[in-house]
Parts: sequence; C-alpha cells; structure tokens
Amino acid sequence: MGRRNVAAASKGRGLRPFYIILGLLAVIGIAAIGYAVVGRGAGGAALEPIPVEGADDPRTLVERAEGISVGDPSAPAKLLVFSDYQCPYCGQFAAQIAPLLKAEFVQSGALELVYYDFPLGGLHRYSFLASRAARCAGEQGKFWEYHDVLFGEQSRWGASSRPPLDEFEAYAERIGLDRQAFSACLRSDRFADVVSANKLLGEQLGVTGTPTLILNGRRVMNWSNYAELKALIEREAGA
Amino acid sequence: MSVAAVDVVHGREAAPPITRMGIAVLSLAGFFIATYLLLHRLGVVGTLACGADGGCAVVQGSRWAVFLGVPVPAWGVGGYALLLGTALAGVQPGLAGDRRVAAALLALSAVAFLFSAYLTALEAFVIHAWCRWCLASAGVATAIFLLSLPEIRRLRRG
Repeated sequence: MGRRNVAAASKGRGLRPFYIILGLLAVIGIAAIGYAVVGRGAGGAALEPIPVEGADDPRTLVERAEGISVGDPSAPAKLLVFSDYQCPYCGQFAAQIAPLLKAEFVQSGALELVYYDFPLGGLHRYSFLASRAARCAGEQGKFWEYHDVLFGEQSRWGASSRPPLDEFEAYAERIGLDRQAFSACLRSDRFADVVSANKLLGEQLGVTGTPTLILNGRRVMNWSNYAELKALIEREAGA
Repeated sequence: MSVAAVDVVHGREAAPPITRMGIAVLSLAGFFIATYLLLHRLGVVGTLACGADGGCAVVQGSRWAVFLGVPVPAWGVGGYALLLGTALAGVQPGLAGDRRVAAALLALSAVAFLFSAYLTALEAFVIHAWCRWCLASAGVATAIFLLSLPEIRRLRRG
C-alpha cells in the first residue's frame, strides 16, 4: 500500500466519529419530520359543521343546541349572542360591550347572557374549530376565559395557513387547563354536534351575520351603541 | 502544488478541517428545519409547533413567504443540501486544501447568511411577527457563515 493510500485509509478512520454524529442527526431529523407528518396534522379534529339529526323539527333543534350562559337563569332580561370567533365585530363585542354588560347587569341579576356559536365558515375557516375549542375548555370549567383568549388572539390564529391546533392547545395551557385532556377533546369530533346545532338554531332564528344579539326574543340592531343597548336592557329588566 | 498535496508527499496529510465537519452537521440540521417548514407550506404537516403566539403561521402565510415564485423554505432545503454536499466533499482526503471547495463553501454560506438576515429583517420590520423555526434557521445560517470564514485563509494559501 502506497503512502498516499495509507494516509487516506487513516483519514477515513478519523472521519468515522463525524459520520456517526451525522448519521445520528439524520435519524433524529427523519424521526422528527415523520412524527410531524403523522402526528401533527388536523388528525381527527372536526373542522366543519356536521349534519344534525332531527334538525328539521324546531323542538329537537332547540334540545340539541346548547348555549353557554352567564348570569341568573331567572333574570328578567335574556340576551342571546350568536357569535363567530373569527369575526372582528364579535371580537369588538367581546372586548368592549360584554364586560360592561356583565359588570352592570349580569352581576346584579338583571341579565342572563347566553353565548351561541355561529361559525360562518368560508373565509372564517377555523371558527368552527375555535367554537369546539372553547367548548373543550368549558368542559374544564373555563369556557369564558378561553372565549376571551380566542377573541384576544383572533388576528394571530385566524391568519394561520393550517388548522391552529397547536396554538389552541397553547392557549389552553396558558389559562391553566389540562393540556392533554383539552388536546384529546380538540383533536376529536367532540362538540361538533352541539356547535352545528347552535348554528342551525341561529339560522332558524334568522341569523345571517355576526354578532347577532337577541334580547328577550327581539333582535338588537345597534349593539355597538352601548347607551342604546343599556336602555333596551333596562326597559326589559324593568329597571 | 496545493498544501494538501505537499502534506501527502511528506506523509502527514492534514486532518479533515473540523470547521467543515461543523458546517456539514449544521447544514443537515438546517436542512431538516427547512424541510419541516416546507412540508407545512405544502400542507403535509397540519400545524407547526410554534408556541402560543402563532407567529410561524403569520410569517408562513405572509406574501413574503414566497421568493421568486418559490416558497422560501424550498430555497432553504436546496441551499442547505448544497452546503451539506460541499462540506462533505471538503472533508474528504485530498480535498482539504481544494480552492474550489473553499470558494464554494464561502460563497454558499455568505448567500445563506445574507438571505437569512433579509428574512429576519422582514419579520422584525415588515411582518411584525416572529417564526421561531425561521429564527432557528437564521441562527444555523449565521453559525455556518462563521465556520466558513477560515476558508478565506485556505483560498489565500492556495
């Protein structure tokens, strides 16, 4: 063996640790990408409304739909809010009007506020998933906290080019939910039936846009004018 | 006659440049980061593990995520693959002092560094969102560039 070959052979042995490190990194990288491809897709997460059995019958639909309320159920004024988590005006209502209503009327027992999902779909492609996410949080007793986070972060997760499952899970963790339980709920079809029924109920009630407010059976047209809304509630509550 | 050739003649060929080994390892890491982002872009990966702020989605969904009609992560995949191949060639016996390898490593790493700096500036001043995977890639590109600086000496020596 010539001197050059000896040097090359010795050099080849010297490169062995380098190749081992490179190989290990390749294995880790391929495994991580594989996990991302298999485990981090939308998976079984329901992203769209599903057919609701018996939806033709209004009574059945009312039974299947399920609002989430805050306040005294026997309050003289009942305000139904049909809302979409990706709708900016709904975000405005949630951030600016709802807190005033809660402080001024709900706490005093004059008003019951009931939230109904009305995911518009179309451009709001994750609003159905968001509605389900909030209900998953509700399962752990933190619907309203999660509701507020979703509206607060609306512009971020709404801009996602993929279903924002990871973001929703991180929000859940942020407000102290059991992430694993939340994730199991989110990445399934849990609450797809309830959210779908809520939307159908809204459609039956003539809801076409969001947010739509219905106060004791009457639609509130100018909800963004708080003074006007307040006067209406006061009248209904007999204040 | 190149430095490596002289060393071989004297029977004490220089050890493979450790900086090139570092470049190869970092390029492979960068390749996987870029592949992950590309798979997300192509819809193969549903969502990115990106933390609560969703910055990756904002950046990936922005109009800046495409460069010359090609998704930015695809440029990353190609660039890191080229760097990996060149660095692997550069650690082979007989190529340690090859000026072509030195020039290619220096040029590729400089382009990757400048492109990463441009993308990071876009995140900071135009998109106003941070994608941690993009930042990781920028960090890798910067480290590769620093490791490629000794190639200047090899070029001068050649």
